[in-house]
Amino acid sequence: MYNLELNKLTQEIKKRNSKQVLIQLPDGLKNKSNEIVDFIEENTNAKAFIWFGSCFGACDLPLGLDILKIDLIVQWGHNRFNKEEW
Amino acid sequence: MVELLLIDAKWGGEIKLTDKLKKFLQEKKLKSIALFASVQFTKLDNLIKQIEKLGIKVNTTKARRTNEKIQILGCDCYEDSFEKNIIKNSDLILYVGDGLFHPKALLLSQIKSKEIKPIILFDPISDQIKEINKKDIEKQIQKIKRNLRFFINSKNIGILVTIKPGQQYFSAAKKLKEKLEKENKKAYIFIDDIINLNQLENYPFIQTWVNTACPRIGTDDILNIEKPIINLREAMNPIKALEELE
Repeated sequence: MYNLELNKLTQEIKKRNSKQVLIQLPDGLKNKSNEIVDFIEENTNAKAFIWFGSCFGACDLPLGLDILKIDLIVQWGHNRFNKEEW
Repeated sequence: MVELLLIDAKWGGEIKLTDKLKKFLQEKKLKSIALFASVQFTKLDNLIKQIEKLGIKVNTTKARRTNEKIQILGCDCYEDSFEKNIIKNSDLILYVGDGLFHPKALLLSQIKSKEIKPIILFDPISDQIKEINKKDIEKQIQKIKRNLRFFINSKNIGILVTIKPGQQYFSAAKKLKEKLEKENKKAYIFIDDIINLNQLENYPFIQTWVNTACPRIGTDDILNIEKPIINLREAMNPIKALEELE
């Protein structure tokens, strides 16, 4: 099993006092999205939403979410990367 | 301000030298391997010890764009993505993980090399072993060369820019446009979020496209597209890029 670190996630949501959380998952983990939303909403005061589209890497983050007042994006399957400079 | 949290979703199981992998490595009579993995499978201390007990030296490095040693990303697909000589000094490359996107970067990083080392894919969940080698990128190499030749001879160039921050190279695109215009070419910059290559046909006045977003667009997606596309890095010096592939 892949470790989704849901307990760490709910601690982070509480620590940051996030109100609206967007979860973004690579294709292989998208079938877990309902369980993750349920876990967040049962264990924190935040509302959770699912990014419908691509999740190619940490280079592929959704934009324009401030309009929806999303205050935290959580992306699984990737870590920080070093962007090449030109 | 939207905050970001990344969870790399490490595989929870033990990754060890299975009988199948042991037999495979022994039959190859190897002296050394270069070891890479996707981020879910980078905890490989036990596997390394077990392989070294077979008398095989395990070479590891931190690829240029990654955050962890051993990890490989799809965009680390250039010869300067790794510590110099790690691949040259290894008999073959062992990749731990599933899928083809990441290990193919290890093949693409060798396209300028005379000898392309094969990649052994070991999926620790299913215990499946597969080999990929030069044959698996031959079509891509031919298409990259063909597209470079088109680019060199094109007058009208389209430069693709994504607004995704991790892949956004707007400044570089503007510099490239200036450079091309000094060479008496016309260059236009196109901006979008996701680079949907189906849109290319709406701009028939563009002869060749330059992709500034994910470099795998210019190495993998080109196989499905008739219009020539090259990557930013090659567009900066296309003649040198072509010579290095000939």
